[in-house]
Amino acid sequence: MTRDWFNVDNFDIPILQLGDDLEQKILRPLSCIKEHESKWVLEFDLPLVEKKDINVYINDDEMIVVEAKLREVYHDSKFTRHQYEHFKKSVSIPKNADVKKISARFTNGRLVITIPKIFQGTKIKIED
Amino acid sequence: MGTKTVTKKSPDNKVLILGFPGNGLIGTFALSYIIQHLKMEIVGEINHPDLPPTVFVENGEVIGPIRIHKKDDLYAIISEIPIYSELSYDFTEAILAFCIKNKISKVIVPSGVDAQYTDKKDIKTYGLTTDPSLEKLMYENDVPKFITGTIIGTDAAIITSFRNKRIPLLVLYTSCHPFFPDPQASIHAVTTLAKILKIQVDTSEIQKRVDYLRIQHRNLMQETLDTLYPQEAQLPSKAPPIYR
Repeated sequence: MTRDWFNVDNFDIPILQLGDDLEQKILRPLSCIKEHESKWVLEFDLPLVEKKDINVYINDDEMIVVEAKLREVYHDSKFTRHQYEHFKKSVSIPKNADVKKISARFTNGRLVITIPKIFQGTKIKIED
Repeated sequence: MGTKTVTKKSPDNKVLILGFPGNGLIGTFALSYIIQHLKMEIVGEINHPDLPPTVFVENGEVIGPIRIHKKDDLYAIISEIPIYSELSYDFTEAILAFCIKNKISKVIVPSGVDAQYTDKKDIKTYGLTTDPSLEKLMYENDVPKFITGTIIGTDAAIITSFRNKRIPLLVLYTSCHPFFPDPQASIHAVTTLAKILKIQVDTSEIQKRVDYLRIQHRNLMQETLDTLYPQEAQLPSKAPPIYR
């Protein structure tokens, strides 16, 4: 006997993730953020999504919101047949972000949002 | 950790392949494919009282999350749950004991390394071995040497223990996205592993399912990250893994 990891239909337990919304048919995507010297790079894993079906915006709570429509309905298990049609997730913007210069690109089902930092502090002069 | 195995006598040219959740879930994807492809039978399980109680039910039969499979002289140990750092050395000791008991001649571990790529043509698999005899195997199979880097977690525990016990070990590091399930990179890992094991594989079915696999394994990826980077998992804003 073996377990078929590669056949979605063979999964007997629905995989519910914190934030998945069965009623609204919304999946919560994985995301990660990396800090660099001059910027933050925020990434979302959005498989089964086309670029034209992604909506990214900053809401009133100063959060980056990513919404995306799946190109086909996703079923999580053959027993439950839960159906999902969208991804949605909100992430807080880092404190020192230059909000006006935020940019995004989408490659291989991954959305990469670049958040430049604003220089904060007092410049110290180096004396002769 | 205790192992329970059912073994038959065979020549001492036995190989063990080992896979557990890590960067990009490469190890678990690769082992699952090979086990499935070769129809390797379950011959044992690895248990530990500190592992989260988990079992799977497959066609009405209960199976554990860390299993030992076998076909001819090839053994496979696969974990479908992340190995917490506190358990890394116990896990490694169990694998070592298994290797000694079963006279395993070499161990191959497919894993992932953080080297994000923009095109699947850029995916590469590097080899890191604790034994000079396996460098020849790398050379014959066009696997470049893993030159520089820092390795953490269970990979590091396994490399250290196998080096100390002088059991030949080859870790195959495939470039992948470390924080998301990466079945695309796993295809490269499977192909390289199959080449080394001299078995034919057809990965077109995985290719068709890449997007689905990325969604399906979000939970395991998140739990794996929580074990690799536990300080982040302890933040109060995160819910216990049971709710993920």
